Amino acid sequence: MNNINDLKSLELTVGDVFSKNARLKARNVNVFYGNNKAIDNVTIDIGSKEVISFIGPSGCGKSTFLRCFNRMNDTIDSCVVQGEITIDDENIYDKKIDVVPLRARIGMVFQKPNPFPKSIYDNVAYGPRIHGLSENKEHLDVIVEESLKRAGLWQEVSDRLQSPGTGLSGGQQQRLCIARAIAVSPEVILMDEPCSALDPIATAKIEDLIHELGNDYSIVIVTHSMQQAARVSKRTAYFHLGKLIEVGKTKEIFTRPQHHQTEAYISGKIG
Amino acid sequence: MFNFYLLSSVLLISLIFFFLGNNRAKNLVKLNQKNLHSLTHYYGVYSLLVSLLPALGIFFIFTICDDLIFAELIKKYIPKEVVASKDYNFTIVLAQINNSVEGLIFGTPPKWVTNAAEIWISWIHKSQIITVIICISTALISGFLGYKKISGNFRSRNAVEKIVMSILAVSSVIAILTTIAIIFSVVFESIRFFALIPYDEFLFGTVWNPQFEGAERAGSGQEGLSQYGAIPLFAGTFLISIIALCVSVPVGLFSAIYLSEYATSKERVFFKPLLEILAGIPTVVYGFFAALTVAPFLRSSGSIFGLDVASESALAAGLVMGIMIIPFISSLSDDVINAVPQSLRDAGYGLGSTKNETVIKIVLPAALPGIVASIILAVSRAVGETMIVVMAAGLAANLTANPLEAVTTVTSQIVTILVGDQEFESAKTLSAFALALTLIVITLAMNFYALHVVKKYREQYE
Repeated sequence: MNNINDLKSLELTVGDVFSKNARLKARNVNVFYGNNKAIDNVTIDIGSKEVISFIGPSGCGKSTFLRCFNRMNDTIDSCVVQGEITIDDENIYDKKIDVVPLRARIGMVFQKPNPFPKSIYDNVAYGPRIHGLSENKEHLDVIVEESLKRAGLWQEVSDRLQSPGTGLSGGQQQRLCIARAIAVSPEVILMDEPCSALDPIATAKIEDLIHELGNDYSIVIVTHSMQQAARVSKRTAYFHLGKLIEVGKTKEIFTRPQHHQTEAYISGKIG
Repeated sequence: MFNFYLLSSVLLISLIFFFLGNNRAKNLVKLNQKNLHSLTHYYGVYSLLVSLLPALGIFFIFTICDDLIFAELIKKYIPKEVVASKDYNFTIVLAQINNSVEGLIFGTPPKWVTNAAEIWISWIHKSQIITVIICISTALISGFLGYKKISGNFRSRNAVEKIVMSILAVSSVIAILTTIAIIFSVVFESIRFFALIPYDEFLFGTVWNPQFEGAERAGSGQEGLSQYGAIPLFAGTFLISIIALCVSVPVGLFSAIYLSEYATSKERVFFKPLLEILAGIPTVVYGFFAALTVAPFLRSSGSIFGLDVASESALAAGLVMGIMIIPFISSLSDDVINAVPQSLRDAGYGLGSTKNETVIKIVLPAALPGIVASIILAVSRAVGETMIVVMAAGLAANLTANPLEAVTTVTSQIVTILVGDQEFESAKTLSAFALALTLIVITLAMNFYALHVVKKYREQYE
């Protein structure tokens, strides 16, 4: 499989993988878990201030691919990433790149809400504190308030910032995690199935939030729900068995899929 | 041997009932062509338990009680003039009789002792016969009743469930009762001690100088030659414990963090068992390591700096005790650190924390209740540890905060008091129990307080 040349693999992906004002560029990315190939030669651009969703059946590698963008796969011993991923034309897998500031530039929201067992305030203030983003206490207060407002949580928690973040409801916790990610002012936010553990009302709130945040950030969202992809994203990428099958405008993917596998997935035959 | 045969035959009977019950259930299925409530082997297990447990219970009650009953009955056979004599002590007389029952005869015991022993032996034979008859017949009768119960509607699966639950409950009650019994055994002797020595003198006195002297016997009114101020002992205990914790908490905690957060799985598999070997070394070995290796080393290196280190010092004992406790802290902390969900670490890394920041700011606070629990366990070990201090810390009851001097601890005093021949009337012997009681109270209080702290912290964050 390694010997497939670039041209051939690009032929595999249907649709327009490139973007005019690309912020993140992935070129011929392969990911291995030990001897297992999880991502097979994926090339895609992610535009500036663009919301793009990754869809596909379970185990298709969409989460694995997402975690390549902020090098979260580094924490898994057996995981090897090949190929090139650039942010603003800087290769993030370059040996000179320090992964710590990189992860501050590319924020991440996880599948299950994972607030720290600290107060709501400390949860949001965590990132600014470790990166030294605030000059003084007042500035930090401003950052925390601003982040919570942007995450649409301020009204609900402004009177109990010192109570534990784990005491919030699931949907509130996830918005807290989003506020925590925003607080370090990232350029890109990666979301790994952010609503899969939430009820429909909380999901709707998060989706509204993604909509709004899309005006300022590039957002990559992995989702199981095709409706969600249709609601929140402008572009959609369909993964299958570690390969990127089709990329295109969300509307077109869902109404006129060009690849037969995409069509099969969308019409419910795979998945 | 007798007990072994009896128990085996009871077990055999209940096994037979297992097969009988099982077969009866199978036959019921065959004959009636209808379904039983439970699987057939549950009927067998039910019959087995029903025949075994009552017989076992009766057996244990009999074996525990017969000595007590005999001891009460034998009083009749002790001659009046012996009972009336001045230094009559029933415990000693009983021991004499028991020795002669077991065939341990020192010198020529009085005639009445051999007589009593013969009577005692005849009772043993009688009680054995009675035990056999009652145990076997209980096993047979209750097994038979259980067997009779087996019918299509009988819910043996639920019945077995209940019996198993009560076995488990009884086991936990035994553990609790033992604890209570231990405490009471110490409490009663302590009360006798406090009748001789006022408790404020014991608790707040600063001189510990117990002596065996006839003069300080109970009721002679001449106490005061010895002094029973326990403060130096407790001070020594805490001095050594604090030194031990200063060694074990950082080393144990840091190695736990290394093992759970930084080490690769290969290193972990290699290092963790090695660390746990420390816990398997007998404390006596630690003791002579402290006395023969560490103490002389401290003494010689102290003299380089012009310090006078006693050859038996609190420092040597504390350091070695600290090494002994390391695995308790590291092993438990490692478990709790591992139990911190990976999602929290991911969140930290995702925000751009370094590994170190993630450990200090996220993982350790989340694992803190468990870490505190492991430290409490270590403190209890340190306070209760005996062998190392006996060998390395000395026996001089100095009231000092200088770790270079010899001190003694509560446990090592208890050992020195209780080793050798004892007179249970003397304040010195009884003081061991008072010390033990105080130690138990202190460790219990510490545990309660620490649990309270842990609980408070948990409520805050979960």
